[in-house]
Amino acid sequence: MKMIHLTIDDKSIIAPEGTNIFQAALDNNIYIPGLCYHPKLSQFGGCRLCYVEVTERKHTRHRFACAHPVSEGMVVKVNTTEVNRHRKTVMEYLLAHHELACPTCNKSGECGLQNIAHELNMSPGRFKTVRMSAPVIRDNPVLELNRNRCILCGRCVSACKEIEGVGAIDFQNRGFKTVIGTAFDRPLDCSFCGGCLAVCPTGAWQDRTLGFSGRPWEFESIPTICPYCSVGCTIVLNTKEGSVRRVVSNDKLGINEGNLCVKGRFGHEFIHSPERIKTPLIKKDGEFQPARWEDAIEMVSDKLKQIMEKHGGNVIGGIGSEKCTNEENYLFQKFCRTVLGTNCIDNISNMKAPFLNGLLYKSVERGFFTDSLKGIENANTLFFFGVDITEAIPVVGCMARKAIQLNSANVVIANPRNIIFKNTAKNDVRLTYSLGSQHILLNAIIKVIIEDKLVDLKKIESSTSNFSSLCSSVQNVSLSNAEQLSGVSLEMIRSAAKLLTKPGNCCIVYGKDVIEDPLGEDTIKTLLDLCALIDVSNHSDIHPGRASIFCSRYHNNSQGVNDMGVVPEFLPGYVDINDAANKEKIEKLWGIKFSGNIVSKNSFNLIDLAKNGNVKSLYVMGADPLTEYPNGNEIRECIKNIEFIVVQDSFMTETAKLADVVFPSSTFAEKEGTYTNTGFTTQRLNRAISPVGNAKTDWEIICDIAKKMGQSFSYREIKEITEEIKKAAPVYSGFSYDRLRRKEFHWPSLLLDKIGSNKYTFFAIRDKSLKVKGEKEFPLVLITGASMNHQGAYSAKSKALVSVAPECFVEINDKDAKDMQIKNGDMVMVESRQGKLKMRSKVTRKSPSGIVFVPDAYVNIPINMLIYQEYTPVKIYTVLDN
Amino acid sequence: MGEINTNVAEDETFDLSKAESILEKYKHIRGSLIPVLQAIQFEYGYLPEKVIDFVSGELNISVNEIIGVATFYAQFHLQQRGKHIIKACSGTACHVKGAKQIVEKLSEKLEVHVGDTTKDKLFTLEEVACLGACSLAPVIMVDEDVYGQLSHNTVGNVIDGIKS
Ligand code: SF4
Ligand code: SF4
Ligand code: SF4
Ligand code: FES
Ligand code: FES
Repeated sequence: MKMIHLTIDDKSIIAPEGTNIFQAALDNNIYIPGLCYHPKLSQFGGCRLCYVEVTERKHTRHRFACAHPVSEGMVVKVNTTEVNRHRKTVMEYLLAHHELACPTCNKSGECGLQNIAHELNMSPGRFKTVRMSAPVIRDNPVLELNRNRCILCGRCVSACKEIEGVGAIDFQNRGFKTVIGTAFDRPLDCSFCGGCLAVCPTGAWQDRTLGFSGRPWEFESIPTICPYCSVGCTIVLNTKEGSVRRVVSNDKLGINEGNLCVKGRFGHEFIHSPERIKTPLIKKDGEFQPARWEDAIEMVSDKLKQIMEKHGGNVIGGIGSEKCTNEENYLFQKFCRTVLGTNCIDNISNMKAPFLNGLLYKSVERGFFTDSLKGIENANTLFFFGVDITEAIPVVGCMARKAIQLNSANVVIANPRNIIFKNTAKNDVRLTYSLGSQHILLNAIIKVIIEDKLVDLKKIESSTSNFSSLCSSVQNVSLSNAEQLSGVSLEMIRSAAKLLTKPGNCCIVYGKDVIEDPLGEDTIKTLLDLCALIDVSNHSDIHPGRASIFCSRYHNNSQGVNDMGVVPEFLPGYVDINDAANKEKIEKLWGIKFSGNIVSKNSFNLIDLAKNGNVKSLYVMGADPLTEYPNGNEIRECIKNIEFIVVQDSFMTETAKLADVVFPSSTFAEKEGTYTNTGFTTQRLNRAISPVGNAKTDWEIICDIAKKMGQSFSYREIKEITEEIKKAAPVYSGFSYDRLRRKEFHWPSLLLDKIGSNKYTFFAIRDKSLKVKGEKEFPLVLITGASMNHQGAYSAKSKALVSVAPECFVEINDKDAKDMQIKNGDMVMVESRQGKLKMRSKVTRKSPSGIVFVPDAYVNIPINMLIYQEYTPVKIYTVLDN
Repeated sequence: MGEINTNVAEDETFDLSKAESILEKYKHIRGSLIPVLQAIQFEYGYLPEKVIDFVSGELNISVNEIIGVATFYAQFHLQQRGKHIIKACSGTACHVKGAKQIVEKLSEKLEVHVGDTTKDKLFTLEEVACLGACSLAPVIMVDEDVYGQLSHNTVGNVIDGIKS
């Protein structure tokens, strides 16, 4: 990139060619007033405030900084008399009709308009005009729009369209009547990401969750990590008098560039929910009684000891948390493996897909990743396979749209449903495949790639070890068969194959629909094969293109809990538990000797053991297996047999209700530690408030119990735990808690030099497919997935989110609905062989005929009660609404 | 290619077939919003809300953006229009000669606000700035005919004349 030298206000700076003066100044901490330019939005040039004096090629003229590119030798002056006179006039116009409501405006103190007026020393203008006084629009639970404060800078419109892809608002009318609004003045109907609020330079958009509970200058701002999905956005908690008043974003922190989704920005009210568990609870005669910490700890310790003495430690099961920190999960597995002497531990994500850890590790070993999720922004091709980006990992959608905007990336989306991913890609190919056909579809794509020579076959032949097996495996794929089984036309398969193999970076993201299919494991392996094909072919010294592959996991720390070894088969850092040398290393580090139980994976499947009555006690930290485990009946059956259950949680979950003792745990806002996101990036939490009520952090609770049981878990701060993780988990060896303050940690990057020269070996799995159909009595097939608005107890206890999305729903294809005489919004019963649940119908074409979809994110509708296999047949009928 | 329209029309009684054939023609041409809106207005006489929702889904452009465009141009109408369009001038010359009373009278007689259409769908009342016939001020135009030198007493006759 060519670099340009210029001077702004006597400061010499260098900027890449094509940069505008405004951005060049921003990058060098030089201030130019301006209200419409925003670095992450396309340039608009509407506010006319960024007027500067520019001398180039010996001519001195006045220019708008945001609309004028830098040039070699240019001299810019930001503060001449003439420039300031212009600016003042512009401000006078902007303020002429403005509401000037600073005393009653929440933006006061952080308002761009107010700041510039103040800087320019504005006096009341020369114009006597009527102040705008249109009614404030409060048509939705989270955002308020006061158009009297709007200066029509267009930032919100661009943010909504470009970043969120929604286009919920636009300029309406023209001339004096121009306002920001919706079509036909309909209520705002959007994803409520709050992007508009975040970029608005004035008080026009307001955060309704804040109300009038604090002024900007009263807040303490604590950056931390969002506790919901697996993207790991940085959010900034604004606190006052020890409570969280709102969440804001900071474009400069973390991986999300200040973009958030509705959960991250508005879903914070659970922190101070009156339903938080505030003291330890002990069940007596079926009723929970509040207890003192000492008593509860003592009781749990005694009881666990008794059980261990009677049956041995391996009758105790432990379920770790996809929501707790790495440090807490690390201590949890250590506690189970050393203090309790059991290896019967797991976490829900691993129960759902036990093959995933191994395959992810494999993709890391092969170097199939960009440095982090943010690498998606550099993609030239995006392939979303079996993942609803918009609902599951919304901010990855923003990153993808950035790639589409900056690199004209192409999009290929394969999903059993017509999912929504709003974007402006020139090529956006949608493969809506039949359930059970994902593997054959993928094989068909690979076949086309090889047969049509869309990749460099020679290079692949020489750089991989068994290309011929892949060739012979796809040779057998019948394209017409694939077409028929998947319902995707050969033409579409071909266009997908072409787009996927275009030169440049290809980013593959797969998710729940792939993983939780009965052929999930094979499909992911074949995806790795595809990734290898593209990677090897696209990557050379001249073309630095790479292929990377990400798995969309469910929770904020679904990756971390597995990294920390809360699974039966691995010690921390994917160290094989059956490997004697590794075990010895850990024994040394922990200063213990494992009891003979700590071996082998298969004999320690928690659910199987529990089913056979071999689990006498269960210790659950920050998880709700009753609603999260795929088969609701099975888990309930298992738990029935268990004598003694301990749960650590912030809320009374379904699992907690069955516990004998419940320990109140702190939420993310009350603790330190780290989360590892779905792109393997480890980021640091910062404690914003002290624990609510008598809650304690999960790691402190574990330490207390361990100590009571006679072990020295004498950690005093997080750093002591992270230091130990560094030693225990090889993949975390380069990890430093202090350094996380400045930069996030990405463990796969440190393995890069180990990737070495061994060639990729294709899995070359022969195509398979399943026929997924309903049954006579239960003609529809149920699938489930994430929701943008909800995720477990946290969202359910956040008022704003509940108002945005009050009710769970079932998506029914419009034709099916018509046949069943179900109308949109009807109350219906969804019934399977195993159970039934009442919810609202949503008639749409998102689900194809024969398939119904229910989000698995609403705790009050535990959809797993219906599910007994991957694709459960159900029937639906209307019921009375009450 | 591209996103599939997943919206389901709630009201099936509304005739979308004309819109369907228009979209058939333009769907795959980028940047065809304005010609589509023009064709829709030609067929339906205005831009009906339901048709716009349908267009939005099919073209994959948000309805808010479409209406943003439609309200920017004076040529598009969001309401059904009357058989006759009355353009009452409010330009400078007419204003001086009492255009305000003329509009008030019209609005009273037709029982509509400026910009709206009478219940019987016969008249739409609009205000324009200068019809270029200032020497005849105050002026109104009904469809293609100009009526000048009106007063609030005589303007009603124009309407009655057209009605009969
Ligand atoms: S909240 Fe997000 S989606 Fe809704 S209007 Fe604002 S930017 Fe658009
Ligand atoms: S609402 Fe805010 S961001 Fe949107 S145009 Fe008005 S001032 Fe700009
Ligand atoms: S829920 Fe996910 S996408 Fe939304 S703000 Fe949190 S981390 Fe980001
Ligand atoms: S910042 Fe340049 S015109 Fe608004
Ligand atoms: S001002 Fe009315 S016609 Fe010119």
